[in-house]
Amino acid sequence: MRIACLLVPDLPLRAELRVHPELKGLPLAITSGRDSRAEVLAVSPEALSAGVRAQSFVSHARAICPELRVRVASPAADRAAREALLDIALSCSPRAASAPRCMGVFAAEAGVFLDATGMTSLFHSEQGFATALGARAKALGLPGTVAIACSRTVAQLAARAAPGHEIRVLPPGSEARFLSPLPIDLLDPEDRLAQTLTRFGVRTVRDLLRLPQRALAQRLGPEILRLIAQARGKEQETPLPRPTETHFREATDLDYAADRLEPLLFALRALLSRLMERLELRGLACGSLELQLRLSDGGQDSRGIGIAAPTRDGRVLLRLLALALEGKPPGAPIEGLALCIEGRPLRSDQLDLFRPRGPDPAVLDETLAELESLCGTGRVGAPAVADDHRPDAFAMKPFRLRPRTHDASHHRSGASEAPFASGLAVRAMRPPVAAQVWVHRGRPERLRSAVANGRVVRSAGPWRTTGRWWAEEGRFALDHYDVQVSDGTLLRLCFDWIAREWRIDAVYD
Amino acid sequence: MVPSPPSGPAPSALVQGLIQDPARPARRLEKLLADLGPQIRRIQGDDLGVGEPLRCCPTGLAQIDRLLGGGIPRGRLSEISGTLSSGRTSLALALLASTTRNGACTALVDRADGFDPRSAEMAGVDLDRVLWVRALGWREALRCTERLLETEGFPLVLLDMPPSVEKAGRDARGSTCWLRLARSVAQTQAALVVLSPQRLAGSHAEIVLEMQPTRARFSGTPALLEEFETQAVLVRHRSAPVGPTTSLRLRAHLSAA
Repeated sequence: MRIACLLVPDLPLRAELRVHPELKGLPLAITSGRDSRAEVLAVSPEALSAGVRAQSFVSHARAICPELRVRVASPAADRAAREALLDIALSCSPRAASAPRCMGVFAAEAGVFLDATGMTSLFHSEQGFATALGARAKALGLPGTVAIACSRTVAQLAARAAPGHEIRVLPPGSEARFLSPLPIDLLDPEDRLAQTLTRFGVRTVRDLLRLPQRALAQRLGPEILRLIAQARGKEQETPLPRPTETHFREATDLDYAADRLEPLLFALRALLSRLMERLELRGLACGSLELQLRLSDGGQDSRGIGIAAPTRDGRVLLRLLALALEGKPPGAPIEGLALCIEGRPLRSDQLDLFRPRGPDPAVLDETLAELESLCGTGRVGAPAVADDHRPDAFAMKPFRLRPRTHDASHHRSGASEAPFASGLAVRAMRPPVAAQVWVHRGRPERLRSAVANGRVVRSAGPWRTTGRWWAEEGRFALDHYDVQVSDGTLLRLCFDWIAREWRIDAVYD
Repeated sequence: MVPSPPSGPAPSALVQGLIQDPARPARRLEKLLADLGPQIRRIQGDDLGVGEPLRCCPTGLAQIDRLLGGGIPRGRLSEISGTLSSGRTSLALALLASTTRNGACTALVDRADGFDPRSAEMAGVDLDRVLWVRALGWREALRCTERLLETEGFPLVLLDMPPSVEKAGRDARGSTCWLRLARSVAQTQAALVVLSPQRLAGSHAEIVLEMQPTRARFSGTPALLEEFETQAVLVRHRSAPVGPTTSLRLRAHLSAA
């Protein structure tokens, strides 16, 4: 078993630079809070060369470097960066897991383990695999150290010990030789245990392994046994999982509450760009999109954006977001944004020789969103026959491109030459048109309405339809007539027994 | 005798030349064409595409397809007009059924909000391949139609105008909207069909088919609406003689409710 570890030693800094790339090259410190006694979590190389150190106070750092830029660590950016690390790992290996979070000296560290077994068949050598992994991490704005060893612990230690952003590959059997000279601090022991070992004069792994194990456990507790197992590189580890999670999230906090569309689109464009990079790494596309807005009045606005087919076209997704915000503006200025994407495999549509090519799914999404913004929600889609006894019932469902299924009932070769060319269609009246009807011997005799006026020449019916009698709302009792009026109109006349009124709900056309 | 020039602004040099040398206008014209140079293009007879057959969307009704010379032409605006109960909706559904049966997607901009899915399904329309756009106003309907034409992949776009003559006329007042639509569809391979209570598109329509109801038949005891007969009259066709008619018999479906 070979395990690779990708370690980013200054994740809060990298997470902030992912969101605000304009801060690159400036002396920058990421802190735990806004007050002067907040702790510096990570510093940029420029701030480091100016003398600013991590785990110092902000006030001290500002005193050392007056032009220091101070930013508070963003939990959302931190979480997104850790997830991006996992995406990088999964782009190279099917089995990967995030390293547990550390405390103390290594609190700013973030790592990910991945199964490197058999990678030589893809990358020629473990060195090549580690180089590719490091390059992908750097491309995503998360440069780190890569180490490959026989276990997670040894790989993590090797990555911690490697200076700069180096690559270190430990051949099998060389773990003990590598671990011996390492300082105990790299094992990240508890503070109390570290102080005790320092008093004993134990400074390196070699020193620790020389001591009798049982005696140490009796004096210092079972925690020392875990440390010894780590030092030997033989800590019991669970197998790396094969993650199936395809949920991606990126978030950002705005510097000031935005109430216009342009600054929101600017921020959304950056979020989409990072999400598309991550999707591309995993070989997925955006299957569904959700926009979450944090409003200045403390409220939340969450809206789903429908997508016809998985796409990686950021321009189309940005247009859909713009149309959604234009069509339904939020109720208050926006302080924070988050985009959640459900990744799905990019669908490749195999063209049919005998079927006309339909609209491009990406363009169709944009078109549907624009049509909906023009006509209103729920007024654009594919029609469907409602499972309802009311004659005027109908349904609409989202318009999706579906492959053609061969259905004999729809197949008719050539044009119809039968005695009846076609069926007589009905044109619905929405809303139904009120009518004044004179009735003679239970049958309509004359009619006056906005649609037709005159004497009823012929009529058929009534056909009675009732339903939902068990409910307070929605119950109906209708009598329908097919009526031909003297002005030539053929219509479907209806008497509503509940409302006690006549109306025309359809015309034969 | 040389005619005296008319009073008013001074004529251009060419006109002056023609007046002085009226016997050789052809030579002057040739000189003008030579001066204009690459700004004009000499068009030969076959460049006009005269006689080039247009691709069509068949309606699925043999009589109508024969009348139209194959079907509704693509890349053109066509109009089916008729009063209520003239059969234009039945013809439109037959056209939708024929197009969706071939696996193509169609779009219906329903300004009238009169589309009945149940009736369409009975006519053989594949509802999953119909994009139904229920536009609230005329401007929205016009913009939706243009947007659908810009989106390639819909070989048939139907624009259903309100059945009321007054409302449809109010919507389409002014011919610029029809010119816009005609130009938009000319750049595509789609067929744009307008369903209207009366002729609205004017000379911008390639084909205008007018539906004239003939009779409705009730029979049986108790009486049931059995069939409806209408006549389709070709009142306009850019490249074929007008006037031919054909009769359509439409069967009423059994259950009205």
